Amino acid sequence: MEQANPPAATKPRISLAARLLAWLSGLGLATVLLLLIGLLTWLATLEQIDSGLYHTLRKYFDWRAWYIIPEIGGTTVLLPLPGGYWVCALLALNLTLGGLLRWRRDWQRVGVFIAHMGIIYLLVAGAVAHHFSQRGHMRIADGATSNTAEDYFEHVVEVAEIKDGKPDVIQVIGGQYLTDLTGSASRSVSLSKMPIKLEFSGWLRNAEPTPVDENTSLAGATACDGYYLMPKPDKVEAEANTPGCVVQVDLGEGGKPETFLLSSAALEPVTLRHGERIFTMVLRKRLWLMPFAVRLDKFTANFHPGTMKPSKFVSEITRIEDGRQAKAVIQMNEPMRYANLTFYQASYDQLGQGPTAKMASVLEVVSNPADKWPQYSLYVVAFGLLVHFVAKLAGFILARSRHNPHV
Amino acid sequence: MKRRTATCLALSIVMLAGCREKPAVVVTETRALSSRDGQVKLFATSDERFGRTRRSPVAGDTPAGWTVAPANEFRLLNYRCGASGTGEVWVSSASGTLADNVNRWLRQFGAPALDEAGIQALRRVPILGSSGVWVEAEGEYVGGMGASPKAGCGLAGVIAEMDGQLLTVKMVAPAAEVRAEIPALEAFVKSLHPLAAAQ
Repeated sequence: MEQANPPAATKPRISLAARLLAWLSGLGLATVLLLLIGLLTWLATLEQIDSGLYHTLRKYFDWRAWYIIPEIGGTTVLLPLPGGYWVCALLALNLTLGGLLRWRRDWQRVGVFIAHMGIIYLLVAGAVAHHFSQRGHMRIADGATSNTAEDYFEHVVEVAEIKDGKPDVIQVIGGQYLTDLTGSASRSVSLSKMPIKLEFSGWLRNAEPTPVDENTSLAGATACDGYYLMPKPDKVEAEANTPGCVVQVDLGEGGKPETFLLSSAALEPVTLRHGERIFTMVLRKRLWLMPFAVRLDKFTANFHPGTMKPSKFVSEITRIEDGRQAKAVIQMNEPMRYANLTFYQASYDQLGQGPTAKMASVLEVVSNPADKWPQYSLYVVAFGLLVHFVAKLAGFILARSRHNPHV
Repeated sequence: MKRRTATCLALSIVMLAGCREKPAVVVTETRALSSRDGQVKLFATSDERFGRTRRSPVAGDTPAGWTVAPANEFRLLNYRCGASGTGEVWVSSASGTLADNVNRWLRQFGAPALDEAGIQALRRVPILGSSGVWVEAEGEYVGGMGASPKAGCGLAGVIAEMDGQLLTVKMVAPAAEVRAEIPALEAFVKSLHPLAAAQ
């Protein structure tokens, strides 16, 4: 008698989408991503020693960086890694899906769910800051008033019409029209409020205007009025670079276009004459107007004895807005927050030399819609963990009282 | 048929190439006046714009392999040289006597100072229609101004007295590079000429 084989137990078939969803929301992926964030942060910390903070942050954490190849101490590490922005984005997705799909609807675990949401909030704050924040610095001498911050990195060309020796109308040609003009690339620019046509070329990220009479080989560089722009290696601190470019100006009066060198290291502007009208042109860091002015009443700088390491920088300021004045103190770790702007005490400077030199305070000005979000997210995480702890404690006490009703 | 196809293809390429216009933009962005906008200096010369109020009174032919570096307050002419890219050559004017400057250079390399006889015994080379003393040294270079010492460096240069002033041409680089660059330095010194005469 033949014995029939029992039918094999059939596994329920899992669709590809379900498997993908399970992987995306899994603890394994979260662990790998957290390890990657740790690794990227460590490598970026090492790399910024040689490459500078700005370049390293862009290389490791910019949204355009899909992958990175670390370079530590000038040696390329052949270990391609995903860009930090996308690792964080995937972690946010993983936490969201994990929270939604894997969270057991159990009151005892509601604290873990809240903590999850807090971490997602923190990651979203990072993304918002990455895309929408703006940073600059304001340098004010003792007793002076300023309503202007200067961008750290973006250089623009400003063309101003001059009336009574002062700028009247100022047009701004943004860095996006200039920074790609390397090599033989050029771009024509017209100004909506001025009868001037410009053709920019030869953008150099860091260059120094150098007299031609000391040089015998220009190597293709454009010489103007005895000067050319000598390319220089990038500075480690990217904000210290002094870029330059060549501009050909057509004033449209049938005359021959004139060529000028623009350099952010220049002390004076280029002057252009169009009939009776006078214009100036400069390459400078983008200026950023504040909705109020800041007067530096008193600046105090203290250093640790025998060092240049700051122990305390304090700026006592007056905020002036529509004629109203308000006093405030800005010091290290105690910024001033006002009108969606945050003013941090960044450093100090000395304006001028000798006995007439004045101390100047350098304030970092940040506009970040997610400024306080990291703080709030930490409150959410802390609250979630507290709820979890209380729930666990309550569960533990209830379980014990059930087992030992006489205790 | 083939010819027609080829003609069409060529025309298409020409038309497509013609369609590639130069990128042009009309900028409308303006900025309000700020506390940074005050009186501006109009019609500044390039020298004023680039902060160079003093042009070098002399010029020379840059030897092959040297690159020109920006002049500064202390250096009338300034160059980089040598395979390592760390070598420097500069022309400057100096104060003091010729002996003071020879011994200052030697002191920077830890070499013993020379007395008058020792300075007289130094080789003389022609420079700007006159002659100057040729100085060489090797050792640990302490450049002053708080710079940290550099081991294995070399010095070669000329100090010349002219019209009551001192003109110096100084090369500092890794010792082996200085030895290799001496012919170039000599040729450079020989090529120096007053700038007014050159123009």
